[in-house]
Amino acid sequence: MTIRHAAGQLRAGRVSAVELATEALARIDRGNARLNAFITVTAEQAMHQARQADSELAAGHDRGPLHGIPVAVKDLFATRGVRTTAGSKVYENWIPATDAAVVEKLRSAGAVMLGKLNMHELAYGITSANPHFGAVRNPWNAEHIPGGSSGGSGAAVAARMVYAAMGSDTGGSIRIPASFCGTAGLKPTYGRVSRYGALPLGYSLDHMGPLTRTVRDAALVLNSIAGYDRRDGTSSRRPVVDFVPEDGCGIRGVRIGVPRNFFFERLDADVESSVRAAIASAESLGAVVKPVTVPDMEALNVVARIVLLAEASAVMEPFRERRGEFGPDVLALLDQGRLLPATDYVNAQRLRRGMRREFDRLWSEVDCLFTPATPNTAPRIGDTTVRLGGRDEDVRLAATRLVRGINALGLPALSLPCGLGGSRLPIGLQIVGPAFEETLILRVGAALEDAGIHIPPCPID
Amino acid sequence: MKHWRAIAQAYGLPLTAGELDRIAPSLEALEEAFRPLIGDLTPGLEPCIEFSALEDAE
Repeated sequence: MTIRHAAGQLRAGRVSAVELATEALARIDRGNARLNAFITVTAEQAMHQARQADSELAAGHDRGPLHGIPVAVKDLFATRGVRTTAGSKVYENWIPATDAAVVEKLRSAGAVMLGKLNMHELAYGITSANPHFGAVRNPWNAEHIPGGSSGGSGAAVAARMVYAAMGSDTGGSIRIPASFCGTAGLKPTYGRVSRYGALPLGYSLDHMGPLTRTVRDAALVLNSIAGYDRRDGTSSRRPVVDFVPEDGCGIRGVRIGVPRNFFFERLDADVESSVRAAIASAESLGAVVKPVTVPDMEALNVVARIVLLAEASAVMEPFRERRGEFGPDVLALLDQGRLLPATDYVNAQRLRRGMRREFDRLWSEVDCLFTPATPNTAPRIGDTTVRLGGRDEDVRLAATRLVRGINALGLPALSLPCGLGGSRLPIGLQIVGPAFEETLILRVGAALEDAGIHIPPCPID
Repeated sequence: MKHWRAIAQAYGLPLTAGELDRIAPSLEALEEAFRPLIGDLTPGLEPCIEFSALEDAE
């Protein structure tokens, strides 16, 4: 069942918010010991909110499609009175006095909060093998990682514990778990969704967005969380539109760019064939597929890594003397960031501006880009390398290779499932659009879903 | 190759030999990839310090 469907059932009186929350909590109860998707389950609060939603709906006070819908947020979003750890030891006892902007908005939309989701420590990695709260496991195969850093968000949505989960994406951390767990995952344009109250990793790269069961559900969540917020200095004043694609929306004439370079190099064969099939499907719907040459994405990834290393180490500098409280992979990244000269950070930001201008020229040729979200399906927990294109590649660099640069550009990007690999693990298609064109990429994604580009539900119960 | 141990010491970062071994190859690879990019920078290209995804229209 999707948010749209559940919202319809609620309003038709065929199900109550209390029943939806009870069922979701039962799924968490059955599955969380194995998947470790949640760090904190707020069952009592959730039931209270669900009862309130039922009362309000019965009284005709309808807050919109998320009213009464069970959701959860990555544990780096501040939640008033509820522990917020960022998956770390250093924040393990932090109980915020206020809600993050995204949490405020979800509450205001009447969503029922089931709790706080596990993640890679400090959102600084892609395995979600958290050394403090345990490894999150992929619902499709518990021996595999769910991706990260929003690994709990991907796992909880795929395992149908929640209808939507909030994640954050600094170098792919929404789109990677969406790809590995077979969910939709939307990284909105930088500035579209307030970062206020989300523990930062890289100030200029952090994006907040939803993971959901379908593209239209991601659009519904975006409708609730988008908008200007004066508390976030980079928040955009652009008007918020209705992002939800119409039923039967068409994509005839939409110009889809398919990169000749970079994005289709060193892929699993299953990934390439599934993504190419999605491209063919879009063409059969009337879209115009155009091969394009994209700017130097390898250079952009290098620039994005330097920006992130410097910003993350700056964020965590107050904890410099507490080295023993970080996992080894995160500590190594923090140390790397500390050793970079300030000139490298400034020059990386200069290169970033130049590359964004180069990339902007693409949008005169095409309306969006289709690429794989990740070059491979979810690796096994503990794997440090993956074999791609005949060579071994660091798991972290492989997973971020096709998504990280988009963070440096601030562009909206959607991952949606487009197939299953030979190991029955999901494959993600990434759709990237021009700044603030979420409506377009969501429409294209929804049209593909309508045309049958999706995967069966995760076989978990 | 940069002398990462000396840089760490100058920064007051108490890295063990093992910790240094873990990060030095990554830093070196990053350095190799990044250094050539800087050569093309023109003085007028300013950094994205206050970043906007759509600079001119905001």
